[in-house]
Amino acid sequence: MLQVENISVYFSGKRGNFIHALDRVSLEIAKGEIVVALGASGCGKSTLLNAIAGFLPIRQGSIKLNGKLVNKAGSDRGVVFQKDTLLPWKSVIDNVALGLIFAGLTKTEARNRARALLDLVGLTEFADQAPYELSGGMRQRVGLARSLATDPSILLMDEPFGALDSLTREQMQELLISVWRRTGKTIFLITHSIEEALCLGTRIIVMSPRPGRIIARYNADFIRQYIGGMDWSSIRKGPSFNSLREELRDLIHKTEIVQATPQKAFANV
Amino acid sequence: MSEIQAQNFISAVAPHEIAAPLVSDSAVGGQYIAKIVSLITIVVFVLAWWLATENHLVAPLFLPSPSEVWRQFVAVFSNGYADASLWAHISASLLRIATAGAIAFVLGVPIGILMGLSPWIKGVFDPPIEFYWPLPPLAYLPLMIIWLGIGETSKITLLALAMFAPICLAAQAGVRSASREHVNACLSLGANQWQLFRHLILPSALPEILTGTRIAVGVGWSTLVAAELIAATRGIGFMIMSASHFLATDVVFMGIGLVALLAFSFSYGLRHLEKILVPWKGRT
Repeated sequence: MLQVENISVYFSGKRGNFIHALDRVSLEIAKGEIVVALGASGCGKSTLLNAIAGFLPIRQGSIKLNGKLVNKAGSDRGVVFQKDTLLPWKSVIDNVALGLIFAGLTKTEARNRARALLDLVGLTEFADQAPYELSGGMRQRVGLARSLATDPSILLMDEPFGALDSLTREQMQELLISVWRRTGKTIFLITHSIEEALCLGTRIIVMSPRPGRIIARYNADFIRQYIGGMDWSSIRKGPSFNSLREELRDLIHKTEIVQATPQKAFANV
Repeated sequence: MSEIQAQNFISAVAPHEIAAPLVSDSAVGGQYIAKIVSLITIVVFVLAWWLATENHLVAPLFLPSPSEVWRQFVAVFSNGYADASLWAHISASLLRIATAGAIAFVLGVPIGILMGLSPWIKGVFDPPIEFYWPLPPLAYLPLMIIWLGIGETSKITLLALAMFAPICLAAQAGVRSASREHVNACLSLGANQWQLFRHLILPSALPEILTGTRIAVGVGWSTLVAAELIAATRGIGFMIMSASHFLATDVVFMGIGLVALLAFSFSYGLRHLEKILVPWKGRT
């Protein structure tokens, strides 16, 4: 279980200006949940994820994973980045095996386990290719398999499908659902797509920008309905899906208007 | 710079208006054109050289004809020069550059990497390197001779010093080329400091180290000839210098051509090595 208690994060921006990125954020994520953080860009979603991942020093508040204080990066928290961070000098299978090699496994053993994970994400036949020979969606699959390899307590996903085209994105969402079904992983996922939040989250938190705060929390069970056998089109037509979507849209829209300067509003036209 | 920009501008804006059959707006087409133009340039250059000598526009003492240079090459190849075969001269030069290059690489890579990783080590090595690196090697060659004598040691030391700096500086820059995201990714996969170095920092530095090595070999060749001008009895540089004393301009030409050819093959070989060792370069 992950416990984020009252963390605040500040840093100085590029022009030396003071940025209050997170303001007293508290969040609990229970085992097996998919918590999706939703919000306009600049609302501190990524800062929150980086703090949980241990990439940022925490000076106010605390983060605990299974009762253990988080103060640096570690393999108990798997991270999937928006831009893939695969190592181009290693083959697909060796990228997946990387965390296992770090954990001290022999190369053969690490590769055997990595192969099983490649099967899970449907890339068995690409094991020996180089990452740059793969499409963007495939690279994200490799990234997902790589972060699963060390069997982390929680998977942190920072807009993992944000850079993909909509078709690939849907395929990746399906893949994530099937991985979640099979592994029961706890997942913290960031997105700016309301649809994605509704389809993937068992819980949705909405964040507001500058300073980043959690302004609303919702439970969602659409993913469970889907796993239970309903198809997406009838789930999407349901009244609860639509009312929640509208509510989220209003909420995010409101935070954006507060933030947008006249120039920005003009640029969006 | 402005020419390149202008070219890009043209190919970006009006690729269809340039009606040459070879022109395509892809980069591959651009390389193709550059190669053909290079070839034409070489042919024109040799032709102008041949015409100038054939029509006695320049005295052979200053500019021997291409055929004369070729004849001299064949003669030196079969009879040698200054009591040594052509191969003896070439191998003397190659041995010097290879030994010095190996020393520079073996010292330059680890020192550069350590400098890139530790501000303490950077603090120690920065002043001497920054001091001697901009100096022309010929300026401290006399010092090398005073300290180490006129034998091979002074020549190889001079070469190694000249080749050390580019390799060391490239390695230093290379270890900083891994991105923050990659470092974070490896850390959250559980990498310790050594694993981070071994699996991320070192491979990311490899392209820069190879580029630095290529530059070092270029520096090595230009320094080599200078080093052999003084107190040598073997080597291509010696051959050029000795021939100039006897006003054998054709042999000088031949020596220059030989150096150019060898330097070019080294550079080409290293570029090829780069393609094998870092196939991901420019593709991520």
